[in-house]
Amino acid sequence: MTIDSLKEFGANVDEGLERCMGMEDFYLEMIELGISDERFEMLGTALESGNMEESFEIVHALKGVIGNLALSPLYNTICEITEHLRAKEQIDYKVLYDRLMSQRKQIMEM
Amino acid sequence: MALNVLRTLDIEAKHEKDFRRTILIVDDEPINLRILGNILVAEYDIAYAQTGEEAMEEIRNQKGFLSLVLLDLYMPKGNGFMVLDSIRQDESLSKIPIIVLTSDKSAEVDCLRRGAVDFLSKPYDNPEVIRARIARAIELSIDRNIIVETGVDVLTGLMTKEYFFQYCREYDKFHPEKEMDAIVLNVSKFHLINELYGRVFGDRILQGVADGVRSASRSCGGVACRYSGDCFYIYIEHQINYDFLTRMVQEKLFEISETNDIRVRVGVYSDIYRSSNLEQRFDRAMTACNSIGRSNAADMVALYDNHMHEKEIYEAKLLVDIDRAVSESQFNVVFQPKYDIRGDEPRLCSAEVLVRWKHPEYGFVRPDFFIPLFEENGRIKDLDRYVWHEAAKQVRRWKDMYGVSIPVSVNVSRVDIFDPDLLDYLKKTLDDNALAPDDLCLEITETAYTDSVTQIIEVVNNLRNAGFKVEMDDFGKGYSSLNMLTSLPIDALKLDMAFIKDIAENNKEMSMVEFILQIARFLGVPVIAEGVESSEQYLLLKKAGCDIIQGYYFSKPVSSSEFGRLIERNLLDEKEPEALEQVEASEQE
Repeated sequence: MTIDSLKEFGANVDEGLERCMGMEDFYLEMIELGISDERFEMLGTALESGNMEESFEIVHALKGVIGNLALSPLYNTICEITEHLRAKEQIDYKVLYDRLMSQRKQIMEM
Repeated sequence: MALNVLRTLDIEAKHEKDFRRTILIVDDEPINLRILGNILVAEYDIAYAQTGEEAMEEIRNQKGFLSLVLLDLYMPKGNGFMVLDSIRQDESLSKIPIIVLTSDKSAEVDCLRRGAVDFLSKPYDNPEVIRARIARAIELSIDRNIIVETGVDVLTGLMTKEYFFQYCREYDKFHPEKEMDAIVLNVSKFHLINELYGRVFGDRILQGVADGVRSASRSCGGVACRYSGDCFYIYIEHQINYDFLTRMVQEKLFEISETNDIRVRVGVYSDIYRSSNLEQRFDRAMTACNSIGRSNAADMVALYDNHMHEKEIYEAKLLVDIDRAVSESQFNVVFQPKYDIRGDEPRLCSAEVLVRWKHPEYGFVRPDFFIPLFEENGRIKDLDRYVWHEAAKQVRRWKDMYGVSIPVSVNVSRVDIFDPDLLDYLKKTLDDNALAPDDLCLEITETAYTDSVTQIIEVVNNLRNAGFKVEMDDFGKGYSSLNMLTSLPIDALKLDMAFIKDIAENNKEMSMVEFILQIARFLGVPVIAEGVESSEQYLLLKKAGCDIIQGYYFSKPVSSSEFGRLIERNLLDEKEPEALEQVEASEQE
């Protein structure tokens, strides 16, 4: 994973780096930590079982972490899921969840 | 805080140079903790907690050292709301400012109500913004804590006077339409409570008064402070009647003392148009409060009225005019003749000098009005010296005109006694007029003796050693103990007028006068009775053995020329051989 590959992915690297006081290594370390969060998997299980409340709690917590890493595409998907869940909308969350996981995978494979 | 840069607390300088402050970051997400810690670590020492419970433990352990808490809301084991509530409920922690970290706008109002001072949104803002907000929150909290510490009177919990005045000024600024009353309340004879029952009880009384004052002022949306000692200031919306205030305070006092003996006095100044500034309004309330007699239990609330206002203006004008009065000779002296009644016929023997002030605008100003005013203001010394000088000049003139020595008595005020220059000035006054010390008798009021007995004895001894005769004026008005009388250096006792007023054959007042005459005889000093107005009084006093008398019965105070005529008449009387013998006999005494 490099700053350039993050840029390519669409991350707002300038914002992320500023938040990390310009320290690239620190920024990348935080991203690795964030992206390997097991709550990504937990969210899948919760959505699959139709537990909206638990799903909301998990995605809301992820939002609080991933937001600070400035991984815009990933963050935007998380926000989208969060708002649907907040409104308790009965939609097909699988599409959104698959997008989320593929974005995450993209970052992990950098 | 203060507007002036020089008076502003220099928190930043302290912050950068003196020591590092400690901030606690509370968040269950390690990434957030680390990012925020990384932003702040250059300026602050950082402590971390990941649950509400951990946070409370850290806060309690470090409460004296924590400058700020950054608090996430949603965490396991005790969320942020729990932390906010716990801190707010614990007085020892409630001074620590808390900034809430949240992405949830809807929670902000709730957090403010629970005591948060600010928010940082998630995702985090620019680090510079975060640091500036944190620095500002800490600075404001220090200012606030200092204000709280210094703005509260430790004994009573009321505001301090500085905080009170600042608060009232702010109030006025934003409520210009409100009709406000300035109120001063104090405890009648509070010094006696402290003396008789001790300071601890005195403090309890003050706390009781404060409780009453607080409840009363809060009931009308007002505020109160302890201004000093037993004096309280209240600023309150205009009320028709202040009985509720005295009642509430008296009830508290009764709870503590179980008597109704401790009374409060209340002075009220209503200024619905705010024509004068805050300090002036409270000064006037104070004037009204002081107008209530200390022992008068009937009416304990006084309103500042036009009469008081006019009196104050009058007093202030008189004080301003004193220099001009001296330079323009508005003061003049008159002489109250004194008669020696020991012989068969009363004989003019001396005079008391009295001062009169003819003000160009107000006419004659009463001496019992302007003399206390000058005493209070310290200008009495100038006036006394003027009188001594005029008196000495006149004694010289009578010596030259009639060839007789008529000694005159002059007043020596309390402030003169402590003037190291007193004896020299008196001697110079005599020298200027080629007089001897026995030409000028010095009257010192009894209350001056009782106020400061040891110092005064020394001064009076020096005056007497220099040849001056010292009379104790207004004897009986103060509280001389009989024991003290024997050790006092005096040459005559002057009975206070009040003793003479109601004397009659065999009544209580007369017995008292006879008793005092006996004391004087025991001390070997003559007694001078003043205020003698009738022949009955004269005869009773003569029969009882009084030595000298002054008062309207013989003569009112007269001008120097009229007094000259009295001397002439006296000289004519003395030419009769019998009278002459008496004079010689008494001179030999």
